[in-house]
Amino acid sequence: MHSRRVYALCLRMVSNPADAEDLAQEAFLQLFRKIGTFRGESAFSTWLHRMTVNVVLMRLRKKTLPTDSLEETVDPDAENSGPKRDVGAVDLRLSGAVDRVNLERSIEKLPPGYKTVFVLHDVQGFEHNEIAGIMGCSVGNSKSQLHKARTRLRDLLQEELRAQARQERQAAKSHTGSEG
Amino acid sequence: MVSRVFQGGAADAFPNGVGSMQCKELEAVLEQEGLTPLPPAARAHLAECMSCQGFFADLTTIQSLAQELPAEADPPERLWVSLRAQLAAEGVIKEEAKLTPDTPWWQSITVWLRPRTLATAAAGIVLLVTGVFLSQKPATKTYLAVIPNRPAPSPVSNSVAPPVVVPPVRNSTVTPRPSPTEEAMANGGLILNQAELSVPNMQLAGNSTVDASLRDNLRTVNEFIAECQQHLKQHPEDELAREYLESAYQQKAELLAAMMDSGGSEH
Repeated sequence: MHSRRVYALCLRMVSNPADAEDLAQEAFLQLFRKIGTFRGESAFSTWLHRMTVNVVLMRLRKKTLPTDSLEETVDPDAENSGPKRDVGAVDLRLSGAVDRVNLERSIEKLPPGYKTVFVLHDVQGFEHNEIAGIMGCSVGNSKSQLHKARTRLRDLLQEELRAQARQERQAAKSHTGSEG
Repeated sequence: MVSRVFQGGAADAFPNGVGSMQCKELEAVLEQEGLTPLPPAARAHLAECMSCQGFFADLTTIQSLAQELPAEADPPERLWVSLRAQLAAEGVIKEEAKLTPDTPWWQSITVWLRPRTLATAAAGIVLLVTGVFLSQKPATKTYLAVIPNRPAPSPVSNSVAPPVVVPPVRNSTVTPRPSPTEEAMANGGLILNQAELSVPNMQLAGNSTVDASLRDNLRTVNEFIAECQQHLKQHPEDELAREYLESAYQQKAELLAAMMDSGGSEH
């Protein structure tokens, strides 16, 4: 069971099966090398996922350009940190308009920090206290990151819906134009 | 954060602020507490604010959809092959040789000499031998010996005494060929002895009492086997002793298999 969750996490983090295999293998190598250091202070799954997340984020940091940021926010308490919710804009309701495929595509676009927390909590079902142990952060930070991840996903999904609506309008226009 | 945003009165509130709770306050609640359960003030705000209703509904949709996504995925088999190879290269584990159709016969022997396989094979051989033995009639063995230089029985005649044929004796100078049954049993015993070689260095169980008990049982069985073998050397015709010996081999094989399974599961 652990191996399947570890692999699934790697797959979502990098969206590339070959990279996911490498990362999962590296995570299990670390497991075997360090199994003697496991003292049972945390649950085994927490310990294993912590190693996995570290392996993944380390790899992503190596690949990321210095100008890019792995985390969306530098200071989670800053007023203008995280995705902004434009309350005045007309929102497209997602319910009934998006499916799992849309969601998977949007998850791929999330920054690694948001993505990790979102996958661990909403997809894999870890609690915030477990995620805090995995990520090495506070429970409050885990909750905050999750909310920001969801808000960002909302923006991404709405962008996708608008793009789809635009394409459909253009297709309809060109179709009408060709008839006329 | 909320107090910094709302400096002043209602005029400074967010344009869509409705009721006692403002939209930013609701968002702070959602950020700190999650989507459920919502406090009464938040529920009241949602009941009156269309924008926040849509926001809340979207977040709930996202959470629900996410829970339907597969949380697990099967890694490809090559991941484990590669992992085993890497661990073997680092010396963390010992890679076991695997038999393939192309494996040379001399290499396949090393696989068969693996302790667990040995114990299993030995148990199988002993069982087979027992079955063969029980299905055969007891063999009657006669040993003929020609003893030179034995004095002639006749005291009078000076003729050369003919060679004397004597009944079976212990110290026969002609060693009879062992029967297939005896040969198979001897082979099984050898295999068991080889399997036993790996036992002294194994930790058989996490419990030292169980460990000691298992080793005591093995010692008892070995002593009994030695007794049977000694007896059969002196009385090779004793079929009952042979049956006891076969039974002891069988017990030893089962004991070794159980000991190795315990040792394997602990590591």
